Parts: sequence; structure tokens; C-alpha cells
Amino acid sequence: MATRDPAAERRAWAAGVPGRGLTYERAHAFGAEKLHRWRLDNGLTVLLLVDASAPVASYHTWFKVGSRHEKPGKTGLAHLFEHLMFNETETMKAGVFDRKLEENGAETNAATWVDWTYYYESLPSDRIKLAVKLEAERMSRLVLREPQVASEKEVVANERRYRVEDDVEGTANELLYKAAFPEHPYGWPTIGWMQDIQGFTPEDCVAFYRTYYAPNNATVVVVGDIRERDLLLAIRDAYGPLPAQIVPPEDIVPDQPQLELREHEIRKPTATEKLLLAFKGPALGDADHATLSVLSEVLFGGRAARLYRSLVVEQELAIDLRGWVSTFRDPGLFECWATAREGHTTREVQVVIDAALAGVRSDVVTEDELARAKARLELGLLQQLETIPGKAEQIGFYETVLGDPTHAFDRVEAYRRTTASDLRRVARRYLVDRARTIVRVLPEGPPAAEAAQ
Amino acid sequence: MSAARKVLPAPARFDLGGGAVGLHEASHAVPLVSIAVAFRSGAGVEPADKSGLARIAMRMLRRGCEGMTAEQIDFRIDVLGAEMAVDTSSSTVAIHAQVIARNVEPFVELLVRLLTTPTFPEDELGRLKRETIAEIIEGRDSDRLVAQKAMQRTFFEGHPYSRNAGGTTRTVAAIGREDVRDFYRRRVVQGNVVVALSGDVTPDGAAEIARKLVAPLPAGAAVVDDMPEPTMRPGRRLLVVDKPERTQTQILVGAMGTSPHDADHVPLVVANAVFGGTFTSRLMREVRSKRGWSYGASARTAVDRHRQAWIMWTFPAATDAAPCLELMLSLMDAWVREGVTPRELAFIQRYLVRSHAFEIDTAAKRLHQALDVELLGLPADYYSGWTHHVQAVDAATANAAVKNRIRTEDLLAVVVGTASQVLEPLRGAMGTLAESSVIPFDAE
Repeated sequence: MATRDPAAERRAWAAGVPGRGLTYERAHAFGAEKLHRWRLDNGLTVLLLVDASAPVASYHTWFKVGSRHEKPGKTGLAHLFEHLMFNETETMKAGVFDRKLEENGAETNAATWVDWTYYYESLPSDRIKLAVKLEAERMSRLVLREPQVASEKEVVANERRYRVEDDVEGTANELLYKAAFPEHPYGWPTIGWMQDIQGFTPEDCVAFYRTYYAPNNATVVVVGDIRERDLLLAIRDAYGPLPAQIVPPEDIVPDQPQLELREHEIRKPTATEKLLLAFKGPALGDADHATLSVLSEVLFGGRAARLYRSLVVEQELAIDLRGWVSTFRDPGLFECWATAREGHTTREVQVVIDAALAGVRSDVVTEDELARAKARLELGLLQQLETIPGKAEQIGFYETVLGDPTHAFDRVEAYRRTTASDLRRVARRYLVDRARTIVRVLPEGPPAAEAAQ
Repeated sequence: MSAARKVLPAPARFDLGGGAVGLHEASHAVPLVSIAVAFRSGAGVEPADKSGLARIAMRMLRRGCEGMTAEQIDFRIDVLGAEMAVDTSSSTVAIHAQVIARNVEPFVELLVRLLTTPTFPEDELGRLKRETIAEIIEGRDSDRLVAQKAMQRTFFEGHPYSRNAGGTTRTVAAIGREDVRDFYRRRVVQGNVVVALSGDVTPDGAAEIARKLVAPLPAGAAVVDDMPEPTMRPGRRLLVVDKPERTQTQILVGAMGTSPHDADHVPLVVANAVFGGTFTSRLMREVRSKRGWSYGASARTAVDRHRQAWIMWTFPAATDAAPCLELMLSLMDAWVREGVTPRELAFIQRYLVRSHAFEIDTAAKRLHQALDVELLGLPADYYSGWTHHVQAVDAATANAAVKNRIRTEDLLAVVVGTASQVLEPLRGAMGTLAESSVIPFDAE
């Protein structure tokens, strides 16, 4: 009896498609499901996952462009596109893009970070071809003229006031990355410096668009209740005529290894002191990344975490405590954020953090601590896969940053393999006190109510 | 059959005895089980001088039970791959938990212990109160949260809806162990509870879990919600919440809206979507798309057991605050005076009906709607008949709802900003002004 081979069937089907232009590459195991990889002749990667749990589909377009591709003086340009892409195209006046999507019941948005930009539409599944048409249109026929650029610059300036200027954590975080990465583009904010935002011209935008918004620099991810063949033909017809572009090689200047302590203080109108403390960490693709993430969970994740217990529960020195390992393509940071309670200082908080970090460098954590951290990380991954848009985001993110759309599952395996001695090894390698960056936020004066009396 | 016409399952409702109700919907998409243990009364029925009690009392459940300390409970929750949080509103309080499916049995055993044998240790209560007060102080760093709290406090002044469910530094400090025990004795009873389960659990499994959780609870009736319908003070009022060095403002404008039982509730929701419910709504188009004054602009009508506020929100630069407020008020005035056009109405109905797919695309979302219906006493078909309700609205009913409910002469504008910079321009932007005042950002 012949054995059915769906992958071979897909290849045969692609070869027989009239007009061709479409190649089936492979299937990836995505948990118990299958994710299929296709490629158009112009280089567009298409990843499809059928999930019929609800009559909806999510259409994500991930571009390999983020703030790392900008130049000094032009920071924030990648993020500005997150706004400009919802504007006028050669066949649609301003506002039409959003109205068409809304009229069809779509949820749509976009996000930009250091390594990537992505756009998504989630639609009732029988309307998903609208996303194909609109995304192909704005990938190649965006109109970038003065009125659109000027208006969106103003919106982004207001977004920056909201996220940075008037936000204590936003300001501190911006300063931390600037200090930690004096050369690498990770040192400037993805939203851009205010004077750069205000200085963009339509010409800057056109040059950036022509360089990075191209099918060979993008991945389309579709997850949902889709008819794979119909959708692929629609994608081929809509994107097939778009030409590939020459994407210039990256011109990144890596930072020299940090060998010294970098320390900054700022004053803000806030009642309590805050501490941001960061060590240079591994890249997302480094095997140590998952290990350091487990260590972060042991120290910071949840009320039973070692440092949370010391600082928030037992000694009551802090109220908010978080740890995070940057999920960047190049080496990023292992960050810690702590908010001291009223009447306490970040110096007191730091003494406790330093002791805990010394502890994980000198001794192995307990098996109970390790099991707790692994269970929390597994729960976190499952929660990210609960919805159709959530699956599409995971696939697009790992494909764009690592070239591996199912890496989320590999990470869970890596968490499971991690041992207590692995944690001590990465603690010794990365958590080097003399080579870290610290930002302190101090209150400006007495609380407003007290001052008013 | 078209994919969009696929019939989705609906949550099952079952009687747990003693007035307790169970809800369940299975989904095997991921190996997770979600459990909500919800109570039919919230912060609205707690003593005014002890606001925050409902939240504190529910959080105390994981701060000690027979045979386990807070530290042991925290560890046990984590190591089972579970999460547990408390959600408090004026009308309800609920424990929301999620656990990796393979550990659902030991997690439910733990949850039963927490619900039925809490010890409310005095030292843990003191710790939790200090933690809560520190969180309230920390919340003052968020201008948006400061604006929302000031709006709630001032708009509903004198009504239980004016109390923030988290309490204030003063009211939290006043809560004693006996208050917590009394809350627990009155509220954690069979007649006051709804248990909802969704995810990787069968109907039989869900029923068994729900019974395990409810059976050991004492008998008792649901707490009576005797809150009056809220009203608002007449006149146009301006409240500036003064915070130093603001480059931006947070602007909220509120007027009295509807109760979900009002005949014109859905027409108002539909008309509001035209005004400020989408990215291409009138408010967003005028404030953001045309002028670039704010990153966001929206309007919404809240849903609760009683009449709630209609609120619009933007956050322009301090220098644009006055013209932006003036624009918001003129748009509101035109909306009330002229209503929405048939074309706008047809567009928004298509949006609301089609996008409804995303309100019900997971079992957890469908269950959450069923839980809301149960807890808030919403009309039984409030969500299940939503698309029909929306399609039944015509321009006349939509416009009558706006005209009858939204009064432009009786509204409250709350602005967080640096008063020395924005107060006078804002007063000018308000037009007729019955009252204006300035309070510090850490006022409670």
C-alpha cells in the first residue's frame, strides 16, 4: 500500500501551478501541528499553519528591518514606518486602508523593535484575502509625501512624550541602553531621538522604503482556518510581480567588551527611587540564552523567586522587581528593574541584589528552585500559543530573528535540559559586577501634596 | 459552508447546589486549564472607610492556610506551572487561575485548601497592607492611572462607584484582621459563587472540579447589591490634576451613560463606536489623523450592573491640550446634536458584526462572557445575541440614545498636567464652566 506523503504532494502541486513562481520548501513540526514553508521566486517567504479552532485567521508580515538598520541622525525611521504604512498608497487614499479592514471586521496593528518590524491583520477567515491584497499593495506602492510624513512625525513625537519623556521607566530604560551600547545601534531608542523624529524628510522615508520593504526581506505568516491552496495562489498573484531588491549588507559596529562599571543618576517627579542594573548578555540564538532565562526566573520570576522573596516579601525594601534577558539577534542585556519602597534607597536594594548574584555565582541553586523556574517558563510558552494571532507572532518572531520558526519549542526543551550547574556557569560568565551598567532614578523633591501644604 | 458561519460551541451552565453555579467550555488547543472562582459582590458593597477590603481579603487567601505558610503556597503554585491572580471591580471579585493540564488535580486540591482553610495570619495581613500601599504610591508614576482614578472619584462622588477597588493609602491602612475574616464569612459562601472552567478539561472533569471547590463552602445567600443608581452633578466641571514637568497631558471627558438593561444601551454602544470606537472613528480622525495631536483617542461606554459613565480620552502635548479639549467638546456637541449618518451607521454595524469573531474566538473568551452575564446579571442574550442586537439598531434609535443620554451641559473634564502651564487655557476651552479646581497628583 502506498504511503501518503503530504510534503511530496505539496511539491508536486507547486510544480504544476500555472505560471509557477511558487516553491514548496519543507514542513516544520510546530508542536503536534505542521507548519509549511513556501517561497516565491522573488524571495518572499510564506509560512502557513492551518488551525481550524475558530473561523478566524491571522496574517503577519515580518520585515527584517528595525532600528539596528538606521544611522545616527536618522534614528526612529524604522518605527516611523509603522505609522506611515497605514497611510496613502498609489491606489488608496489616506484612510481607505483602515476603513477597508474595519469594514471587514479586522483587528490590525504593527510593532517595531531593534531587529524587526511587523504588521498584522486578524480577520474572519473567509475575508483573509483582503489582507493579501492590502499588504502586497503597501509593500510596493506606498505614497510618501510631505503631508503624510509631517502628520505622522507629530503623532510619533506625541507617542515619544507618552512612552519616554513623561514616563519614568521609559526615560531610565533609554538611558540604560545608551550607556551600555555606545557604538552598536542597540544604544539608540527604537522610537528615535526627538530631534531626529522632527527632522525626517519624505526623501529619507522613500530611500528607507525602497531599501528594506521588499519581498526578499519579508516573511508572510498565516495561521488560522485557511484553505491553503486558495491562499497560496492569492499570495503568488498579489506578490509575484513585485521585484526583489538588493538589501545592503549590515554596517554594524560592535561594542568593545565592557570592562568597567557605567553608572548614571537622573531625577524625576516620582515618590520613590528606581534601579536599573544590567549586564551584557548573550544573543537570542546563543545556547546560553535559554540558560540565563532560567536563571532570571529563579531570581525574579514570581513571588517565590529568590530575589523577589528577599526584597519584596521579607525585607520589604522594594515593591516592583523584574528581570529580563534581551531577546535580540546580537548580544543584548540581562536586565534587572527594582523600585525601592518609600523611605528606602536603591543602594539598600542593590546590596541585596549583589549578594544574591554572588550567591548564584558561588553555589548551585536548589533542585526545587530549578523545577519552579522551568514550570513557570513552560506555562509562559503555552500561554503564548493559546490564540491564533499568538501562534503567528511566535512563528514570525523566531523566523525573523533566528531563521527558525519553531524555535519556541526548542527553547522549552532547552529549559528542561538545564541543570543547576549550568545556571552557575552562566552566572559566572555573564554576571560580572565590575562590567555592568547602572541607572538610578531619584525623586526630585517632596511629594506634591506635602509641598502644597 | 463558509468558514465565518461555522457554529462555535457555547459554555455549558450547571447547578452546583446552594445557589452556586458552574460554567464550562472545553478546548484542547493547548494543554492549559483556566479556572475562575468568582463572587457576585465586589468593592461597591464594602465600607467606604475600608475601601480595598475585597481585594485585600481575596489576596489573603494565598497568604496562609491550614498546614501551609504563604511561602509554601507561592512555591506550590509556581512548581505546578500555575498562575493565580485576584481581579476586583465594583460589582465582583474573582480569583483567576491557569495551570498546565497535567497538574490540574494537585492544583485544585491546593485551591480547595486556600478557599476553605485560610488562616489570615496577622503578620501576613500587615505585610500585604504595606505592599498594597506601596503599590498605590507607585501607581502615581502613571499619568493615565492618575487621570482614571481622579475621574472615577470625582464623577461618581458620593456613590460606591467612586471608590477604587484597590483602596487608598488611608483606607487600606484601616483594614483589620476582623474585617478580612468578616468579609470572608459573608462572601465566600455557596450562594455567592460562580465557578468557571475552560481549556483542556472534559465536561465531567470540570463538573467534578467545580463540586470539589464549592461543596466544602458554607451555605449562604448571595450578598445583596443595594447600591442606588448613580447620578452626576449638573454643570460643566474641570478638574486639573497637577503634576510637575509634564510635556503631555492626559484628558478624560465623562458624561453619564447607560445601564446594560436600558433599552437604548446597545444603540448608544453602536453610536459611540462611530464617535470613538475604532481607528477611523470621528475622534481618532480629527485628533490624530488630521492634526497629529495625540497618539491615541477613543471613547467608550463601560458595562456594569448599574448605570455607568461614557468617557472619551486623548493625551496631547501640553501645548496642544486646550485646542484639543476644545475640539473634543465640539465633536461631542456635533455628535449629540446631529447624531450619526445612515452611512456611518451601516459601516460601524459591519465592523461590529464581523469583528465579533474576535470576541468569541477562544473558549476562554466565550466563557468570560458567560461569567459576566452570570455575575453582573446582564440580559441572558447580551453577548450570545450581540450581532442581532447591533443589526437591529437604526439611525433613529442610535441618535435618540445619544441625544437622551449624553448631556453636553453636564460633564466632567479631568486633565493631568502641569497646572501652571495648562489651567487657564483649559478653562477657556471648556466654554461654559460651572466649576474648576486643581488637586495635587497624589491626592486621594
